[in-house]
Amino acid sequence: MSVIGKNTPRIDGPAKVSGKQKYASDIIIPGMMYAVTLRSPYPHAEIVSIDTSEAEAMGAVCLTYEDINPVLYNERSVSVPAATYRDRTVLPKKARHVGEPIAAVAADTEELAYKAMKTLKVEYKVLDPVFDPVEAMKDGAPQLYDKIYLGDEEVTIKNNIGVVRKIDEGDCDAGFAKADRIFEEDFELPRIYHCQLETKGCVAAPDSEGGITVWATAQSIHGNRHIIARVLGLPLSKVNVKKVTLGGGFGSSIQVNTVTPICAALAMKARRPVKLLSAREEDFYSHHKYPAQFHVKIGVTNDGVITAAHVKALIDFGSHQIQPMAFMGCVAGWFASLYKYEGNIRFDGTAVYTNKTPCCAMQGYGNPQVNFAIESMVDVICNEMGFDPIQFRLANYRGTGEEFWGQGPTIRSIIKSCGVEESLIEGAKLMPEWATRNEPKDMNAEILTGVGLARGFHCSGTAGPKEGEVIDYSSAMVKVNEDGSIDCVSPVMDHGGGTWDALAKILTEVFKVPLSMVCLSPADTKNTGYDVCTHATRGVYCGGAAVYNAAVKCRDRLLEFAGRAMDEHPSHLEISPDEERGQGYIHVKGFPAKGRTIGEVAKLAQINSWGTAMYAESFRQKNCPPCFTTHFVKVAVNTRTGEITIPKVVIYGDCGVAMNPELLHGQLIGSFNRGLGYVLYENLPHDYDTGKLKNNGLLVDYKMPTAVEMPTAENVIARHANTYEPTGPFGAKGIGEAALASVQAAIANAIYNATGIRFTKLPITPEIMLKALQEHGLAHK
Amino acid sequence: MSNLLPLTLKVNGEEKTFLASPHASLLRVLRDNYYWDVKCGCEEGDCGTCTVLLDGKAVKSCITLAHNCAGHEVWTDKGLGYNDEITRMIQDAFVECGSIQCGFCTPGMIVAAKHYIDHGGIADRKEIRKAISGNLCRCTGYNKIVDAIYKVAVELGREVR
Repeated sequence: MSVIGKNTPRIDGPAKVSGKQKYASDIIIPGMMYAVTLRSPYPHAEIVSIDTSEAEAMGAVCLTYEDINPVLYNERSVSVPAATYRDRTVLPKKARHVGEPIAAVAADTEELAYKAMKTLKVEYKVLDPVFDPVEAMKDGAPQLYDKIYLGDEEVTIKNNIGVVRKIDEGDCDAGFAKADRIFEEDFELPRIYHCQLETKGCVAAPDSEGGITVWATAQSIHGNRHIIARVLGLPLSKVNVKKVTLGGGFGSSIQVNTVTPICAALAMKARRPVKLLSAREEDFYSHHKYPAQFHVKIGVTNDGVITAAHVKALIDFGSHQIQPMAFMGCVAGWFASLYKYEGNIRFDGTAVYTNKTPCCAMQGYGNPQVNFAIESMVDVICNEMGFDPIQFRLANYRGTGEEFWGQGPTIRSIIKSCGVEESLIEGAKLMPEWATRNEPKDMNAEILTGVGLARGFHCSGTAGPKEGEVIDYSSAMVKVNEDGSIDCVSPVMDHGGGTWDALAKILTEVFKVPLSMVCLSPADTKNTGYDVCTHATRGVYCGGAAVYNAAVKCRDRLLEFAGRAMDEHPSHLEISPDEERGQGYIHVKGFPAKGRTIGEVAKLAQINSWGTAMYAESFRQKNCPPCFTTHFVKVAVNTRTGEITIPKVVIYGDCGVAMNPELLHGQLIGSFNRGLGYVLYENLPHDYDTGKLKNNGLLVDYKMPTAVEMPTAENVIARHANTYEPTGPFGAKGIGEAALASVQAAIANAIYNATGIRFTKLPITPEIMLKALQEHGLAHK
Repeated sequence: MSNLLPLTLKVNGEEKTFLASPHASLLRVLRDNYYWDVKCGCEEGDCGTCTVLLDGKAVKSCITLAHNCAGHEVWTDKGLGYNDEITRMIQDAFVECGSIQCGFCTPGMIVAAKHYIDHGGIADRKEIRKAISGNLCRCTGYNKIVDAIYKVAVELGREVR
């Protein structure tokens, strides 16, 4: 029986619940040293000198900028080099944000390393910092950089403007001229923190041949390998990055984590294995979600057609580029792909350096941000012009046969599967309150309720028919063992969403074996071909497709052996599941009596010295299909306290064929939880006098939703659309990042429906809500 | 170096003597002695990934002084899984209900669930939510974790009538 589309216990479940699963932080190597980092107390300061003598006298090994080749790199390596800005070294000569690592110290114990670190004498030349992106662009503002590189080309930085990106398609001016109404609005989304539960860390061990083995928090083992090899000046073959389970990522390990090359360089200098783990307070200063400010202009005709849209974006990305250029291209793409706009779109993006923690991808790469703006605007348009929000979306959305931008303007493909219509229409039925949302209600009530809708999507991978700015392919090796069990070596990482589970299911379907007969082997960068990264919701659609491709070719080889064994042409043979023997069974098509199990064929091939049925290859998808989501959210606003709760939510996801519906629903529900935090609580304000985070990196002062704030299970209705993606492995596309895209706008639209107050800035904390209620005369005394 | 002092604890049913500095947390002592299933998520008593049972009560081991536990009994998720039927039921329910994603919060979450069930916890989702509100999970949105604990409570005949 096929397990595709069925709820099956995830393959890594037993190891994870019983505490046996090992993460990077659990790796221990005999003779290992422990390292800590010294981090800058200043937001902007030149490092004149670092005196390490006292620490070294204590037996510690120290690493400063003087110990490392000043190789400039970008931590994120998924874009092609010509489209990648490079501005950083392993340790800097100039600190550009509070909490930036400026030296590292290793010793026999962590305690000794910490004590030795405290003896480092750093002479700083403190510089004026700049925190506000608008201030940063003014003449005379403190400059973070003079020169950086784009690919191999030197780029001069003026007024801290890191990247400018302009995209103009169709004829926006004509589109706006044709519109009956023009809507304009500003939106602002905060800087927030990933808070993956495993902080960034690394264990690095020099080997006997002059190379190094690395276990790190990573979404891409090959991305880590490339950068470590480059900064250490080693051939790739001397750097082995091991695949280990990741304790959450949400995008924060797409790039090589800052501590990883530091740890590797320290291990090489010490000639001993080194472990370097970030404390939570340090992790808080290591990676943030991109904040965004948008100005949105949309033109609409009286008969409900969007004729043009223009988005201006200002992005404060902090002190290093982890690819705000790719980020802004994606923001443009998400916005361009939401609606048709009669083809008239314009995007003007500016990304600015400030003395803050560098920003990187966090579930959606600009999608949740710009979706909040556009889907809020659609709600404004429908309310003001009297359109039905579902019909308006159905009339304007990009669906089957339309172009979708999978990763900015250079990567596009045609949509071939689409669950938008089903999600909107069936979703509304599951939320009966939607139909009655505009009926008159008592605005003096203590609790005001309302219902909101928003829709969104994300790409499944970053491959188009034409190669663009982003690298996208994966690799796999598949082999059939002599008892009919299957081994697969895949470089693809799993953040926890269940990517590995899906890969295993793809193998079972190709070989018609039960899940228990499939095993994903330990993998590293030496025994696998390249895989770009588990990002862009590409794990199942792209990583899975590579496994599928290798498995099918491996199966062909197996059928050839079977043909020899049975004196049949391989094209006359097929595999069916043999449930009794728990095996795949190869037999003549339409004649099951003549056949042998996979194990029998593989064993025969081994005994007769025909060989092993195995295959290894890299594979590239040629589409980037959108996975769609729709959220209907009911909110309750307490007009006495300003507290917002969610009595009910309907979440519709379209991931093509759901490999494991239970895991899919887990993704949808988990993403709703993160969206709840994004809308209602999370923010990272800085103290502009010191450059420090106002929470000082303390988790206790960073409110996130706990179990108590979530709507209870019976009030969270998660469904998936009935679609089949023709280009995906067994009909599958992705879901991960899509699941967050429309949460924000749906909640904000519901708050508008409840109170008549339109929020264009997140978060909407109880204090902010209460103040707005007071201003509108709705607060309960 | 700080002076290491001997510390005798009963961990997962076995009497053990460790060497630990006077200020070491229970989390540090456990992880330094290969009890890796006790995770370190924040070391400030907030996230709950380091939750263990101390004399039958769920505690955050990162804010528990190790030497204060001398002579006391500590159980971790892994040890409980090998020895305790209730914990096995919780672990199985977590797998069955899809309560796991990255898995980093899971061992601590299971210990918190074990505490809830051991202290008469009933099949009531609101009560279960409160019981695990000291344990953060950034992946799952908690509902499926609540479902798993609910399922175990039902299996033990703790339905609310």
